[in-house]
Amino acid sequence: MTLSTMFLTMLPGMLRTIAIFVLTLVFSLPLGMVVMMLRKSRIGIVQILTKIFIAVMRGTPLMLQLLVWYFGPYYLFRMPIGGYRFTAIILGFSLNYAAYFAEIYRAGIEAIPVGQYEAADVLGYSKAQTFFKIILPQVIKTILPAVTNEVITLVKDTSLAFALAYSEVFSIAKQISSSQTSFMPFLIAGVFYFVANYAVAFGMEAVEQMFKYYD
Amino acid sequence: MKRILCTILTLACSVVLTACGASSTSSEAVTYGFLDETLGTENYAIGFRLGDEELAETVSAAVKALVKNGTYASIAENYPDIKDYLSLSPEDISDDEIAQPGSGDPNYTFKHGFDLDYPPYSYLNDAGEVGGFDVEMAQAVCEYLGWKYEPVPFNWDFKDAELNAGSCDCIWSGFTKEGREDMYTWGITYSTNTQMIMVASNSGIKTLADLAGKTVGVQISTSAADMLEGDRADLAATFNELKVYETYTVAFNDLKAGAIDAIAIDVTAGSYLIANENKQ
Repeated sequence: MTLSTMFLTMLPGMLRTIAIFVLTLVFSLPLGMVVMMLRKSRIGIVQILTKIFIAVMRGTPLMLQLLVWYFGPYYLFRMPIGGYRFTAIILGFSLNYAAYFAEIYRAGIEAIPVGQYEAADVLGYSKAQTFFKIILPQVIKTILPAVTNEVITLVKDTSLAFALAYSEVFSIAKQISSSQTSFMPFLIAGVFYFVANYAVAFGMEAVEQMFKYYD
Repeated sequence: MKRILCTILTLACSVVLTACGASSTSSEAVTYGFLDETLGTENYAIGFRLGDEELAETVSAAVKALVKNGTYASIAENYPDIKDYLSLSPEDISDDEIAQPGSGDPNYTFKHGFDLDYPPYSYLNDAGEVGGFDVEMAQAVCEYLGWKYEPVPFNWDFKDAELNAGSCDCIWSGFTKEGREDMYTWGITYSTNTQMIMVASNSGIKTLADLAGKTVGVQISTSAADMLEGDRADLAATFNELKVYETYTVAFNDLKAGAIDAIAIDVTAGSYLIANENKQ
């Protein structure tokens, strides 16, 4: 197999990796906000249930969670699970990352001094105005580096989809490696992950610059 | 600063790339072969869900028809490493056992479950497409019966969950029958395989007894691994260590690098590794 055939064989896998990455972010970033709000809810039972959810999501391996989401419907409800593979992967990744994002958001919100709320109140801002105009911009500034960390981890975590035999770039690299008895595919995959993460880091740095309007 | 960093990284990448290219082309005098003594012999068959007798019989009858009409032998021509181990021949099959062409339900989709990590039975071939002896046979069966074919590559560690949950209809991927007789409804046995010990020509290992105190590698959940952990645990007990690898590719690299002394492997998979090594 020539290097170019190898690359072309891995190309669909790269696109699938990017698909997992993008869809997971699209679902988990807003979902994390919801989880964070439930976590900060004043209703005791909601808060406890959310804490349990976060503990389970963070406390068990993501690979195990993917297996549960995919095989669970059959083992629990005897449902046939034919074309459900990709949905299970996105579901598993999104819920897992939502739990992490929720805690990052919470850290950001709790870092805002109470004086900010008081000042907004004195100036006659409504609750919604205070949150969206005063608090949220500061929260985003604070949490961006932590979010960048998490997003970079996500790029590499997409390889866990191999457990459900979804042919993303790492699974294909492994298969080509077996058939060609060569480590070259892993190197190509490594370069792919590095380039992808470099792009993520570059993009996030640009966003951080955008929020540095007071510096 | 960023531009300098970028240049350095690009250079580092290309150095690594060329280094890898060079190491795989450098030829050494060392060759690899098998010991004469074997660990044991097993049969490969098609595994279906328990109770799926009808499907097992239909597929088996279609395989017999393909043996009879020569398709089986012509597909085998593409796989020299396993040709000698295929166990079906046209003389053993009578005309009343075989399925009729086009006798299958044209709306039925046959979901073929296999591991894409198991050359030469099922793997990504040189063109980067799903191929292998078992894959070509399954496709031929579907074509013969008039079924639709759907490949379902799965993770070998979770093959039972995939089969039971219905994401595939069978496990057909160099699948050993021995020791699993009661776990599946079995279709036709089409190939035998022998588990052997692969060593380097300069290792000085000639018999199984020479393996005492040596480090032996094996791939996880293969027949060779099952054997060394089961029936031949007595032999494994004499080793310095039985190293279990995720894939034989890594094990073979360790053998070449001298990190292990021998590999316990199916003769077909081993021949494939050796043939590939000689090609490079």
